[in-house]
Amino acid sequence: MPPILCQVCKKNIATVHLTEIIKGKKREIHLCEECAGKKGVAFKSHQFSISDLLSGLANTQAAQEIAKMSQIKCPICGLSYLDFRQHGRLGCATDYTVFKEGLMGLLEKIHGSTEHMGKIPASSGETREISKELLELRQELKRAVEKEDYEKAAGLRDRIRELEEGGHGDA
Amino acid sequence: MEMRELANSPGEWLKGTGSASDVVISSRIRLARNLVQFPFLSRASDEQKRRILEIIRDHLADIPVTSKLTFVDLTKTDPIDRSLLVERHLISRELADGDWPRGAAFAETETMSVMINEEDHLRTQVLRSGLELADTWHQIDQIDDALEEKLDFAFSAQLGYLTACPTNVGTGIRVSVMLHLPALVISREIEKVFQAVTKVNLAVRGLYGEGTQASGDFYQISNQRTLGKSEMQIIENIESVVPRIVEYEKIARDKLLVENRPALEDRVWRAYGQLRAARTISSEETLHLLSAVRLGVNVGLITDLSIASINQLLIHTQPAHLQELRGEPLDPEERNVERATYIRSRLTNGKQ
Repeated sequence: MPPILCQVCKKNIATVHLTEIIKGKKREIHLCEECAGKKGVAFKSHQFSISDLLSGLANTQAAQEIAKMSQIKCPICGLSYLDFRQHGRLGCATDYTVFKEGLMGLLEKIHGSTEHMGKIPASSGETREISKELLELRQELKRAVEKEDYEKAAGLRDRIRELEEGGHGDA
Repeated sequence: MEMRELANSPGEWLKGTGSASDVVISSRIRLARNLVQFPFLSRASDEQKRRILEIIRDHLADIPVTSKLTFVDLTKTDPIDRSLLVERHLISRELADGDWPRGAAFAETETMSVMINEEDHLRTQVLRSGLELADTWHQIDQIDDALEEKLDFAFSAQLGYLTACPTNVGTGIRVSVMLHLPALVISREIEKVFQAVTKVNLAVRGLYGEGTQASGDFYQISNQRTLGKSEMQIIENIESVVPRIVEYEKIARDKLLVENRPALEDRVWRAYGQLRAARTISSEETLHLLSAVRLGVNVGLITDLSIASINQLLIHTQPAHLQELRGEPLDPEERNVERATYIRSRLTNGKQ
């Protein structure tokens, strides 16, 4: 048998070969040791079938993440992470912090980003603690770096430091 | 403003003015915001929803840019009036059909509206005729600034404005442009447009937004991503795509005129004839025929009708509008008769 690439990471050579028979249909899955290790628990507990694994990396990640996070509940609104995954709606602003670990991957998938680059209110929520100006400068810095305008970036970085040390306080 | 007045009024954004208005019906931008001191809608009690409604209503009345809006408590509004607001694109179907404390406010010109306790506590929208996104953004940005002076919105430095659904987080912006693309549909090129649009992370939807089918060749193109880009970048993305679709549609129209003129003329005139002759007609068929007539006006085949009057017919022939005009509920068959009568009265007097 020629070397087969791991079906999960698609990088390493698969060394773990599994066969599952569902309704008379044979399916094979090939994994590298690392990925097999990550799924190991799942196989033993039969929580995830091969079809879950085959349906792609995104799904297995989601399944793992749900399993890990299903116990978490928001202390403010009482929403559980499982509720969120079932209905797709969050219960309060704090959920974004409480479910952060699960949400970041999702946001990356939906938006291709996890960082706000838009409008900043003059005084709302976190802008109470961090000044609007500082947040705007940080966005500008990100844009300058993206455009490889390092001269501008250096200027912005100095300005940000000044502001941060000047008591505007970035906790 | 009374609902009956609204049903009779032309609606500013339907007047068929603005850039590229032969193809672009309207430009719309909405912003989603939540009050920091309350849970999102799905976890808020009715008492909390009532408080949210009161707070936002009071602030709208307080702020110069919104003080002249007509406020509607939707729990006290009858279903036909609520549907009327949906047909006018002033509120969503979800908000109209809800059974919790909720409200809406809109400007007399209908170019601006606010939904309270929809999926988010506050959804503000600005609507314009034609392709006018920069102007639309400028206006909604100012309204948002004014609201923010009084209201504390849920905001995080990393994730921006926090919304009930993660698909709206960040800017909370939905920019959509309604297009009329009959020639691309006739020449079967529309699929190519969809593919190109999807590649740049934009979505294509029907006349009434999310979850609706495109009918009568009317399509809405909107952004899907709300995080990681500034509002202007999101707008510029749509602004760079729409003129190309407009151009593509115009080329397809010209091509139909040159290569298939008899078939195009036949389609347009038959549609016009059917609308002027029909005694009972469904809203689906109306949209379909109005689309052909609109195309006929745009390419110069029909000269005694204005785009504004066709745009208005598109909205005024919807079920709630007909019932509002008649002043009583009508069953679907009665509506079809009423619709045909209404269309005849509007199309047989010649110029509108």
